[in-house]
Amino acid sequence: MMMTRNVILFLFLAFVPSMVRAQDILIPMDESQSDHLKAYGVTFWALERSMDVDWLLNYRGGSFLLTRQSDLEAELRVRGVHFEVINGSRTAAIISEVESDATNTAVVRLEKPPRIAVYAPDQTLPWDDAVLLALNYAEVPYEMIYDDDVLQGALDEYDWLHLHHEDFTGQYGKFFSFRSTAWYIEQQRQAEMAARRNGFRKVSEMKLAVVQRIRAYVGGGGFLFAMCSGTDTFDIALAAAQTDIVPAEYDGDPVDPDAVSRLDYSNTFAFTDFRPEFNSREYEHSDIDAGLPPQPLRNPAVDYFTLFEFSAKYDQVPTMLTQNHVATVKGFIGQTTNFRKPLVKPNVVILAEAPGRNEVRYLHGTFGEGTFTFYGGHDPEDYQHFVSDEPTDLSLHKQSPGYRLILNNILFPAAKKKKQKT
Amino acid sequence: MQPTLRFLTGILLASILWIPVLQAQNLEESQVGRFQLAESFLRAAQYERAIGMLETLYEESPGTHVFYERLREAYESVKRYDAAIALVDRKMATESAPTSFLAEKARLLFLKGDEAGARAQWDAAIATNPSSPSVYLLVYRSLMDLRLFDWAIDVLEKGRTSMDNETLFQTDLAYLYNLTSQPAKAVEKYLELLSLNQNQLSYIKSQLSQFLTSPEAIEECLVVARDGVAREPLNRAYREFLGWLLVEGDAFREALEVYRGIDRLEREQGRMLFGFGLVAADGGAWDVALEAFDEVLQRYPEAASAPEAMRGLAMMQEKWAEEVGERVFDTAGNRLESSHWDEALATYQRFLIEYPQHPQYPDVLRRIGALQQDVFFDLPAAETVLTEVVSRYPQTDAADQAAYDLGRLAVTEGRLEDARMAFTRLLTRLRTGDLADLARYELALLHFYQGDFEAAESFTRAMQENTSTDVANNAIDMKVLLIESMGPDSLNTPLRRFARIQLLTRQRDYNVAEHQLDDLMDEFGQHALADDMMMQKAELQARSGQSEAAISTFLQIPLLFPRGFFGARALMLAADLQTEIGLEEDALRTYQRVLTEFPGSLLIPRVRESIRRLRGENV
Repeated sequence: MMMTRNVILFLFLAFVPSMVRAQDILIPMDESQSDHLKAYGVTFWALERSMDVDWLLNYRGGSFLLTRQSDLEAELRVRGVHFEVINGSRTAAIISEVESDATNTAVVRLEKPPRIAVYAPDQTLPWDDAVLLALNYAEVPYEMIYDDDVLQGALDEYDWLHLHHEDFTGQYGKFFSFRSTAWYIEQQRQAEMAARRNGFRKVSEMKLAVVQRIRAYVGGGGFLFAMCSGTDTFDIALAAAQTDIVPAEYDGDPVDPDAVSRLDYSNTFAFTDFRPEFNSREYEHSDIDAGLPPQPLRNPAVDYFTLFEFSAKYDQVPTMLTQNHVATVKGFIGQTTNFRKPLVKPNVVILAEAPGRNEVRYLHGTFGEGTFTFYGGHDPEDYQHFVSDEPTDLSLHKQSPGYRLILNNILFPAAKKKKQKT
Repeated sequence: MQPTLRFLTGILLASILWIPVLQAQNLEESQVGRFQLAESFLRAAQYERAIGMLETLYEESPGTHVFYERLREAYESVKRYDAAIALVDRKMATESAPTSFLAEKARLLFLKGDEAGARAQWDAAIATNPSSPSVYLLVYRSLMDLRLFDWAIDVLEKGRTSMDNETLFQTDLAYLYNLTSQPAKAVEKYLELLSLNQNQLSYIKSQLSQFLTSPEAIEECLVVARDGVAREPLNRAYREFLGWLLVEGDAFREALEVYRGIDRLEREQGRMLFGFGLVAADGGAWDVALEAFDEVLQRYPEAASAPEAMRGLAMMQEKWAEEVGERVFDTAGNRLESSHWDEALATYQRFLIEYPQHPQYPDVLRRIGALQQDVFFDLPAAETVLTEVVSRYPQTDAADQAAYDLGRLAVTEGRLEDARMAFTRLLTRLRTGDLADLARYELALLHFYQGDFEAAESFTRAMQENTSTDVANNAIDMKVLLIESMGPDSLNTPLRRFARIQLLTRQRDYNVAEHQLDDLMDEFGQHALADDMMMQKAELQARSGQSEAAISTFLQIPLLFPRGFFGARALMLAADLQTEIGLEEDALRTYQRVLTEFPGSLLIPRVRESIRRLRGENV
């Protein structure tokens, strides 16, 4: 009798895992994946339907593991995402391998889809926005918000906020040479109207208020992701809160002659000791940006940056943000391309850098209860995106490592917070 | 007086008179040197040093305007607005006409943050001479420097009222209203401008177009423009402006009414309507374009634009028919009535009757031939017409196109040697260009139909090198077929018979083609062509209206030839047909099979799109 009971117990223990998770779907994110970008979209889709998703950090390029369901399979096929159906024992083996201390891998449970806001104007501007492109291509839902919404407190409704080619200093992107074009006139007009609507005399004052709202949002637990000039102008605006760094060509009055001494770097997220660029015609906001790569490297064939590898079990956030199927990523230029390393605050985590150049491409930090991630460059699949260039067609770059870094950011807020092992 | 004495006296007097002048000159040179140094300090952003020097200079020479200007600018550069204002006050006290200084002071007060004080100074500037337009313009420019558009509007409007002159500042006000997102008011000003000078329409369009960025803005402008036309129905510029706005807002139907009105009122003899018809056609508003062309023909048959309108009308009808996938015959071969194709043909024929001397006559004749051949399948009629084009209008593009069409017609009628001769002549004459490439491909097809596969392959080899041509893909397809389907005997019998079946299909002899295909499949079911034959059969069934049979045949192909080239295509075409006959659930399943069974197919994007469309998603 006792023996029979033991046999039953043995059988129960042996088969319970496979009964619980009879068959699973593994979405590999290594080179075998046919469409990395849509894979993020399907994962988001699954989260929206309350499906459990495990993100296998550093396992085959940061794969996703989900319970097999017919509608999930159909969706993966329709979106053209490669997947593997695996049985329970294979799943157990993978989990065991990923959780093993011998490997730099980890499992992170993704729980609920973050509510995403993209900070962008309604006006169509003659350049593309890499995050909008990525979200649209990956079919990840989001909402657009802009100055009025931010100032009215809309940020509270979102988990994740994205900024792209934005100029928070109120200098309209420093596109002074385009000042007679219709889009520039319209951009300036809209900004000035918004400023007046919200009770500000100058656009720079309104943008500062917006930046301060975003800063408070992050401090309260929000996730901020910024690219291109949305990164450095954010910090420049915060540092210049007590002074005027905007030339008369943009706001009608000159720069404060004591502007440099009045900068307060304690307000900023990522950068310190930088100097704003006061020349209205210089297409640069400050010396945070290292500018164009040196001439021999200014070539898509040789310009690249390297991702740092973090401990998946101990540094899960940076690990999530750097999940990729390659260790080196093609470089790409933007108004802000690489951040000068000496100007990066010491508590900021560097996620990727331009090798041999003392320049940072991708960084992450915490502020209050929230986090910020800054990613230099404009469009990961268009080496140098000029004004009025056609937007990039991501169906031609389904496996883009540069775009993957953007999409890592939208899933990272979905991760269940774990206590640190240390 | 002695001449010598007179000379010495003169020298003495001159010397006495010149002494103060020279002294003054020395002083100016010193100031110039210091001024240049101060400017260097300004350029080097050493404002305080520059200000010190400039203040001294201004004290020494308050009448020198440039000292005043630089000192004021220097104060502004360091945001010392109080000092700048005091400087302006001092300057103003010495000037007889203080208007510009008042405006200057107002600007500085505004920059200092004293908006009420600024406004008072601008008002004071206007009060110096409220009946002078230039005073209002001076204040307006001062406000524009600060981008205070709303205040600038108030100033200009006030100027118009106080001078009781509604013709003043129209373009400035319109621009300001645009900048402040008040398009309706901008349009009011533009209408005022137009009522004074109708030639300003192009300028107005160019100004306004950059602000018409949303449907709401266009709608606001339209309300005012419609009112303007109602108020002054005989103002041509108003009507043209309204028509242009309607086109900008894609309201082609209403725009037609407007252009119709202009045409009648201005006795344009259809010129306006014809121009509008072209615009509407470009905008994809086929029905409106057709109506515009039709009206030109109805009302102004003698007008210069009538022939072009008639040709345009027929071409529109052709495009429309193509866009909606209209057919002249149903799948059972029954003639369908009242099609756009019929309209197109009738219109072309009318053109021939009414405008026999028109330069487009050969082109229209050729188009009739092409319609007869490809749409109405009236081959004798087509041959007559096309032969006429070739013989009566040699050395024209229409003749070349007609020669090509005649070659195709000969193929359809089975006169393959005639066809070869037609294409060869055309190719010899043209050598390059799209038409030459098409002729070359037809020659390859002729060799193929006749079993001369080596010659066919050599033609395809030449064509596939030029991948920019439309026929390059067809040539590659043919080459693959030729390479893969040779044997099993030296005569390549299955391929030879398959080529004949393809010719029969082209000749629309579907029944015979299907029978011959069945025989071929019975006899050579294991040949490399077997899947091509199944595809051909399914396509023949689909063409002859046997949709369900065609679906069944298509669905068999991946089962019989799981590793074949046509699996994905066959499933996709089956799903397309299922969608066409309303079996949408079946179609969804069939499309899903393509994704499951042929995940690497090049057709996958198209299949995904079809699935999404069936799911009701926005594709």
